[in-house]
Order: sequence, then C-alpha cells, then structure tokens
Amino acid sequence: MQLLTALAVLATEEGGETGGGLSLIVPPTSELIAGVIAFLIVFWFVGRRAMPMINRTLEARQQAITGQLTEAEEAKREAESLLADYRSQLADAKTEGNRIIEDARAAGEQLKADIVARAEEEAAATLAKARDEAQNEKSRALAEARREVGEISVGLAEKIVGGSLDDKIQKDLIERYLTELETL
Amino acid sequence: MNDRISGYANAILDLAKAEGELGRVESEFLAIGQAFEKSDDLRAALTDPALPAEKKRAIIDDLIGGQATNLTVGLVDLIVGTGRAGDIPAIASAFVERAVESRSKALAEVRSAIQLDDPTVERLAAALSKATGRQVEVKVIVDESVIGGLVARVGDVVIDGSLANSLNELRHTVLSR
Repeated sequence: MQLLTALAVLATEEGGETGGGLSLIVPPTSELIAGVIAFLIVFWFVGRRAMPMINRTLEARQQAITGQLTEAEEAKREAESLLADYRSQLADAKTEGNRIIEDARAAGEQLKADIVARAEEEAAATLAKARDEAQNEKSRALAEARREVGEISVGLAEKIVGGSLDDKIQKDLIERYLTELETL
Repeated sequence: MNDRISGYANAILDLAKAEGELGRVESEFLAIGQAFEKSDDLRAALTDPALPAEKKRAIIDDLIGGQATNLTVGLVDLIVGTGRAGDIPAIASAFVERAVESRSKALAEVRSAIQLDDPTVERLAAALSKATGRQVEVKVIVDESVIGGLVARVGDVVIDGSLANSLNELRHTVLSR
C-alpha cells in the first residue's frame, strides 16, 4: 500500500517534471483509487472465504498424510514384530534341530555301546562255553584214560596173581583166612 | 525165597529123608546147583521150551546119570519136566539149607579155588561157629572164580577173604580215584 502510494507520488512528481513519460505507466488517480478498492474487495474475499477452504483442504490433506504415516509406522512395526517372530521361530527351530540331532547322536552312541556290550557279552559267553567244553572233554578223556589204565593194571595184576598161585600159596592163603577167622 | 522154591525144597528134603539118602542127595544137589550156575549152555538147553523133554532127560542122564542116586536124577527130571529148570540153583540152595537146618545147624557155604581137606573143613566149621555164634555145617564148593583164599556165607553174613575180592577192591580203588 505504501509502495503503491510512493509509486503514485513518484509518478506524480515525474509527470509534473517531464509531462508525459511516467504518466504512461502510472494510471490516473481515479483509476488508481478504484483499483485499490477493487483490490481490497478481492483481498477481503480471498482472506475471508477462500483461505478457510484452502486451510481445510490442507488440514485434511495433512491429516491424511499423518494417517498414512501412522499406518506405515504400524505396518513397519508389524513387519518388525513378524520378523522378530520369524527370527525367534527360526532360532527355536535351530535349537530344536540341534536337540534332535543331539538326541539322535546320543541314541546312536547308546545303541552302539549296547551292541558292543552285547557282542562282548556273547563273545565272552561263547568263550566260556568253549573253555568249559574243552575242560569237560579233557576231564572225560583223562577219566577214560585213567579207567583204561586201571582196567589194564588190574587185569595184569589178576593174570600175575592167577599165574603165580601154586598149591603152597593157595594153602597159605587158606591158612591165613582161618587164622584171621579164629581170632575174630 | 518164594513159596514155589520152598515147596520144591521141602519136598526134596522129605523124599531124601524117606529114602534115607539125605547126605548124598544134599551133595549132589549142591553140585548140580553149581553146574547150573557155571554153565550157560546147560541152563539154556534145559530151560529151552522148544527142546523136547526126552532130549532134556538125556542131557541130565549124561551129566549125572552114572554117579548120582536115582532119587536125585528123578527129582531133577521132575523139575525140568515141570518147566522149572531155571529155578534149579535156588531150589538146590534152599534144599541144602533146609537139610542143614533139620539137623539144628546153620549152613556155611564155603567157596574155595581148591578142594579142602577134612582137617581144614573141621577148623573152618569150628571157627565159623565161633564167629557167627551158631552151630554151622560147612559145605565146600570148589569155585575157580575165587582165585585164591576162601569166601564163607552163613545166612546173610559173608566173610570174604578171597583174592577175587581183593582184586575187585583194587579195581574199585583204582577206577574210582
């Protein structure tokens, strides 16, 4: 407004001096006043009517953007939560997998140990049985040998005794029997 | 001893007494019992049901006909004829025991590898009577399986001083070791 006034003043001064150049640019005073009034009316209309509408639109827009941001935030949080869940589940799965592997390994070890123990036991039993059988066989063979030796020895003794019995020995044997019987 | 054997034994004793030949019949039955025990062939032949009675009688005649009394031959014929030949050793033994008991004595059955002379038999009788506390009558059976020494049996008591017994004990000791 001051600028416009200053321009008007300047225009007036210039016009006065030169009488033509500036007056081409600067409108005549009446036109200027009408212009100012019209401007004020437009200014007022805009300030009074258009601005609130613009402001409302802007506000709505801001709200929409804020909402979208919040949604995005929400979605991000959700995604992060999901990710955390997945990570946790993955970790759980890894732990579970390790546990299963560990269990399987332990079971395998146990089974191996069992099989080895059983095999050792069976081997020991077989060995003991074989040893027993060998011992029995040995005892049997020894007993058999002893029996045969005894049989042969006694048979020999019988032959020797039978062959060496003359009449005198027979009578001596009977005499000894009688003597023992008489002293009973 | 079962009833049948004792019945035969008593009958033989009564018949021998009636014939007045108890002593001889006793000795003969003792010998026959021995022969039966020792000879498997004799036992098999006389107990064979397929062999006719005449054949069996001929065998008995061959065995004792010439030497034994008619009574003994007849009695053995009877026993074989009734199919009791297998019981002859038991009958003979039971009869001899009865005969000895009928003289109020106990039978001492003495087995020896050689024949014993009379003084020895008398000493045996005296010693066995003293040892068993009963009056015994010694019957000697010559049995080579004794090998040497004597085995005396009075009733259930056996006094075994034979070499066969010693050898048996030796065998037992050697084998049970």
